[in-house]
Amino acid sequence: MTPPDFSSLSDDEFRAKAREFFAQHYPSHLRFILRRARLAEMMEWYSILYTHGWVAPSWPREYGGMGLDTGKMLILLEEQEQYGVTRVPDHGIVQVGPIIMKYGSTEQKKYYLPKILSGEHIWGQGYSEPNAGSDLASLATSAVPDGTDFIVNGQKIWTTLAHDSTHLYTLVRTSKEGKKQEGISFLLIDAKAPGITIRPIRNIAGHEEFCEVFFENVRVPQANLVGGLNKGWTVAKALLSFERINIGSPRRPQYALKRLEQLARAKGLFDDPGFADKFTALKLDLDDLGSLYARYVEIVKRGEELGQEVSMLKIWAMESWQRLTDLLLETGQEYGAMPGEHTVDGAKVDLLSPFYYARPGTIYGGSSEVQRNILAKYVLKLPS
Amino acid sequence: MLRDSVADFAKRGTNIKRVRKLRDTAPGFERAVWQQMAEFGWLGILVPEQYGGLGLGCAEMAIVAAGTAGALTPEPLTAAAVLAAEAIARGDNEALKRELLEALVAGATIPALAWQERAGSLDTAATAMRAEPFEAAIKLNGSKSFVAGAAGADGYVVSAQSPDGLALYWVPANTGGVALDLQPLADGRMTGMLKLNDVVVPKSSLLASPACAGAALQAALDTTLVMVSAEMSGVMGRALDMSVDYMKTRVQFGKPIGSFQALAHRAVDLHIQRELSSAVLSDAVAMFDAGASGARRGAMASRVKARCSEAGLRITREAIQIHGAIGFTDEYDAGLYLKRAMTLSAWLGNAALHRRRYAELAAAAGE
Repeated sequence: MTPPDFSSLSDDEFRAKAREFFAQHYPSHLRFILRRARLAEMMEWYSILYTHGWVAPSWPREYGGMGLDTGKMLILLEEQEQYGVTRVPDHGIVQVGPIIMKYGSTEQKKYYLPKILSGEHIWGQGYSEPNAGSDLASLATSAVPDGTDFIVNGQKIWTTLAHDSTHLYTLVRTSKEGKKQEGISFLLIDAKAPGITIRPIRNIAGHEEFCEVFFENVRVPQANLVGGLNKGWTVAKALLSFERINIGSPRRPQYALKRLEQLARAKGLFDDPGFADKFTALKLDLDDLGSLYARYVEIVKRGEELGQEVSMLKIWAMESWQRLTDLLLETGQEYGAMPGEHTVDGAKVDLLSPFYYARPGTIYGGSSEVQRNILAKYVLKLPS
Repeated sequence: MLRDSVADFAKRGTNIKRVRKLRDTAPGFERAVWQQMAEFGWLGILVPEQYGGLGLGCAEMAIVAAGTAGALTPEPLTAAAVLAAEAIARGDNEALKRELLEALVAGATIPALAWQERAGSLDTAATAMRAEPFEAAIKLNGSKSFVAGAAGADGYVVSAQSPDGLALYWVPANTGGVALDLQPLADGRMTGMLKLNDVVVPKSSLLASPACAGAALQAALDTTLVMVSAEMSGVMGRALDMSVDYMKTRVQFGKPIGSFQALAHRAVDLHIQRELSSAVLSDAVAMFDAGASGARRGAMASRVKARCSEAGLRITREAIQIHGAIGFTDEYDAGLYLKRAMTLSAWLGNAALHRRRYAELAAAAGE
């Protein structure tokens, strides 16, 4: 269906529309799932989004998106978070779709974009490797030309939902000459190609969200290169300004804050000055992040490029979130070591899920330490 | 333009040598420099135009507060031109208000607000100072503590319980029965302990009647909290710049110390605190200038004071650590920034106090 056109709505009118849409259509049994949900659980919602034309809110209308501007995009995400709407496996929508729009050939656009919208293609990200984590440019998975194909050999790891993916967008080594970054290409790979083995990895929360992916003489057409040979680093770095700011949004930790508040009320802890101060300090850490975040939102809304300093949003958002869930466990006392939902002084709470959910944020997408290196170098201009 | 004049003042109108010379002296600032501030118009930024001021807002005042505090200026700018000025401007004695504000803006009279009696309390109503009718005049008895800008003040705006409730009175410093005990602050400035013993002032000294005194005091305090936060942002900004510069030039183990990750990450964390402070400050200034009132206004004032106090103290403390032994010497300036931050943090409530107040007011405002 043609996506609805909300460009003439004011921000407030759009907010009401989004709220109404979720309340009306989002399956209630899928609210507040504190983990990356699997495709089988989320396909129902994916189809609803597709049927109503809401599946690709940030994509331009010419590609079948809603064409929302940044302001409305953020409103949509706020409402989504507020209602407890879980992410669908969205790497196609959020990552590879926009990259194909920017760097892909006409054929790639025509072939892939509609299939991302419909959910026929589900994408997984093949960037990290066992020996290329924070130092991603050291990646070694090789793609060697053979006729009109590449032969791919190597291993990827931490590939979120690879076992649900029909396709993988990968960074592969196509040259060992010169700087490490200059021998990397961006390659689209069919996950069903012979020679690919996908093995799920169980995380500390007990969920199988990410996988390792093995490539053994996998034949991939050279036509699947995006952005040209050895240009993969540039392509991968061209993540939308919007995504770089979204990861530092104060929204995601709000759920944990609400649970903590609920638990503390039930236990009468707001009369304890020690607890009250800790709680208020954490609440203000998020409120103040909101002020800083709004500053960067204004920059993006004006259509300006974000500098490296935006990294600090992610550091502060993710670390505040963790401090919050640390206090949640501490407040739960014995229940802070018991998985599942429990009734604590009359409050029904699951303490461990928010705690585990907050852990990987300081690791993925550039660890907090890597972000600090970036800020030290590019913002404070400290010597290296 | 305002930004330029503040930058110019910080460069040429004051310097650290002057700051050091004035430390631990009374009044601890120079009347000539105060006069210069009057000429720049800074003393009248928050004063309405009909009283000779510029009638501008917190946005403009914050620029001056941050800039002058960043240069460690000892003049009592926020104490007189924000705290006292805001209380006076909200009074209901037109004639006295006009007289005091015009004299303040011109630099002729420096007022100080004497409202606080106990440490660690922002309760404006908790006032034991009494004001009683005495013949055709008013007699004041009681004491006030931590009077900011008392050294060198020409008079005091005193809060007292009158038979009709809390009111504000103007008491010239040279009135009989007024005793001021100046006590040193960490940063070399002075705070005042004021005793009024059978002090008799004319009825026309009633600056704010019980109809408006409580609200006037509260509003003045909240505005000042935001402006002290602006001062703190100036102090933390300079202290961090200074530390980062040092990290680029100080060489140990054959490398600039800024290349060591332990220090670099520390500096980044301080930078994040500075940016958080600056973002909240902008929001507070915008909210105040948009005319916020009541509990929402108070909650915002406490929020920004909590963040800036915490961040300012942390940055200036760590500035000492980053500099190493030289940072611990009196000769080096890092200590001066720490001490100003300590003073600003403790004034009108530190971070812990303001988190508590924020929680109460935010609940009252339904946030």
